[in-house]
Amino acid sequence: MGNVTLEHITKRYDDVTAVDDMNLDIRDGEFVTFVGPSGCGKSTTMETIAGLTKPTEGTINISGRDVTDLPPKDRGISMVFQNIALFPHMDVFDNISFGLRLRDYDDEEIQRRVDHAAEVVQLEDMQDRMPEEMSGGQRQRVAIARAIVRNPDVFLMDEPLANLDAKLRVHMRTELQRLHKELDTTIIYVTHDQAEAMTMSDRIAVIDSGQLQQIDPPLVCYNEPANKFVAGFIGSPSMNFVDGEVTADGFESEHISVEFDPATAGVSVGSQVTLGIRPEDVYEVGKVSTVEDPTAEIDARTDVLEPMGNEVFIYLLLSEDAEASMDSTQSDDQLLMSTDPDTTLGENDTINVVLDRSKVHLFDAISGEAIAHGLADPTDASTAETGVSSSD
Amino acid sequence: MSTDQPTETVLTDDDEEPEIDRGPFEAWAAKAIQNPKRAYKALFYTATVFFLVTTLFPFYWLFMVALTPRDNLQDVGLVPSGFDPSLLAQGDLTMGTNPGVIVDVFTLIPFHRYMFNSFVIATVTTIVVIVVASLAGYVFGRLQFPGKQPLMLLVLIVSFFPPAAFFIPLNELFNTNVDVLRPILADGSLYNTPYAMVIPFSAIFMPLAIFILTTFYSQIPDGLEDAARIEGTTRLGALFRVIMPLSAPGVATAGVLTFIAVYNEFFFSFLMTDGSANNWAPIVDGILQYQGQYEVLFNVMAAASIIGVLPVAILVVVAQEKIVSGLTAGALKE
Repeated sequence: MGNVTLEHITKRYDDVTAVDDMNLDIRDGEFVTFVGPSGCGKSTTMETIAGLTKPTEGTINISGRDVTDLPPKDRGISMVFQNIALFPHMDVFDNISFGLRLRDYDDEEIQRRVDHAAEVVQLEDMQDRMPEEMSGGQRQRVAIARAIVRNPDVFLMDEPLANLDAKLRVHMRTELQRLHKELDTTIIYVTHDQAEAMTMSDRIAVIDSGQLQQIDPPLVCYNEPANKFVAGFIGSPSMNFVDGEVTADGFESEHISVEFDPATAGVSVGSQVTLGIRPEDVYEVGKVSTVEDPTAEIDARTDVLEPMGNEVFIYLLLSEDAEASMDSTQSDDQLLMSTDPDTTLGENDTINVVLDRSKVHLFDAISGEAIAHGLADPTDASTAETGVSSSD
Repeated sequence: MSTDQPTETVLTDDDEEPEIDRGPFEAWAAKAIQNPKRAYKALFYTATVFFLVTTLFPFYWLFMVALTPRDNLQDVGLVPSGFDPSLLAQGDLTMGTNPGVIVDVFTLIPFHRYMFNSFVIATVTTIVVIVVASLAGYVFGRLQFPGKQPLMLLVLIVSFFPPAAFFIPLNELFNTNVDVLRPILADGSLYNTPYAMVIPFSAIFMPLAIFILTTFYSQIPDGLEDAARIEGTTRLGALFRVIMPLSAPGVATAGVLTFIAVYNEFFFSFLMTDGSANNWAPIVDGILQYQGQYEVLFNVMAAASIIGVLPVAILVVVAQEKIVSGLTAGALKE
């Protein structure tokens, strides 16, 4: 019950391919999140699962049944929408019981189920309110109650928290997790907010340009991204990327060099690669006691400081003539580091930084595929962790 | 001499103008120049009063004609001829008028049957138009398909033809005996049946309804339809359970316009039946029945006209609530 399988799902509009050969296997009771930038096809994928859109190719199985040609109402699913989509001409009770009434449940059963659903979302006393008399959070909870009242096999949630204010969103996030624990039903959740994806899901499916990039538990996506897109998308602020070349000694670029043994890392000498390093894995020299395996020192000049309270983001320029660009993490002569809030650094200070070699990622410069996660000091080859861990 | 007099007045007016001593109208004009809102307000009231008088005066006139006793019909004024309030003192509550005409309307001919006929024809036509135009409005307003624009244009073209152009072929058709219809219609022809009016009226008033409903249905957010379909309706179910109720103002507008137009229709109504109440002749036929060979009972006709207008007037007052209210307000968080 409740497992969802997509096989070779492709959705083409006139000249656009929204979803391109998507294969997914979602287990019963799993909380899977689709993340990706706007227009990546995550919502279209969800619509094909819901049955609101028919895939151009491929088959969809829900609970072991082929539902590709079934209308939404016969798929055993329910859905929570980004714009909430409560029926404005019905009160809360009628909204929640809409699906039950359509299925001719008797009045007592409807009342019992609605009461239970309202209790789960903590809206017991509001059953005769109209949607327009409720706050955004309350409306969203009615929508969730409407979804759970039918005991579906699968919940689909299409950015359900996107229209709520920041504080309420965090609150609803924990509510949803509690709900998932309570109901133990498969939830497929679409969001572009990677914080939601990281905190709530059992597995994250990262989607870009209609293609599945990686589906793995959140920390695997974070620590071992399958490719450069996943690496850049998961984590905020984004990972630093530096283009360079593999030499016999390791990675070489204009400003950064990282020594490692190309053979153990599984990369051939002379190939073009992109080095990726997260801001929290860049350390100021002198405060590196925590870094076991630092790389060679890098000269840098601080540009802009962004104090966040619990940490400070520092934009580093690696050369005198480097110009701060909009997307500093993509630039070869800039680095973004995060450091303790008690830093004494100011703007335009000259500092030396090192990278944590065990947290360095290497990606193929052309295909973007991950080559290695974590490099080892060539002098100490025993701790080398190489190759891309398989993503399934 | 008499022609000189006005010129003199004009001259004196001109002379007086520079003086501060203004008449009430001039004072008002001066204030209006200071504060243009006064002028707009005055214009608004003038226009409103003008329209009220021009629309309501005919009803007043009808009412006066209706109350005029039959013998005084040659002499109809602003009050019924023979109206004399002093008669009240003598115990004559009618004050010389003839309120009994309202009874005559129903006793001379079965006018209630004519009203019933009109009401049924208008109601059935409205239902047909709303149902079919809803389906069309849903398709035109919410679906994307090739040929949508040309098809919409085709619907529009139907409404370009004058209804009279359809009359002769339709009359021929409806007078033809069709054997398959014999079990339901006595002689197998549609003449003298409500179908002879419902069918052409539905076609004639359909394009307008389609346009109104297309506009309204296209504005219902997709999310609501999706939600209804997920919850367990078909597309058609979503149309009737969610989209139509939320478009209530549009449906009411289309319905009321169709109902009034059919109820008031003269051309087909007059020609598609033989004018007898039992043959589904509508109100216009009934009113014309008061026209005899030697006498025209204008007072009864006037009373019948007023009675005939009442259902529509009530309908509009009731439906106005729906038309004005915007039910979709606050439907979605934008």
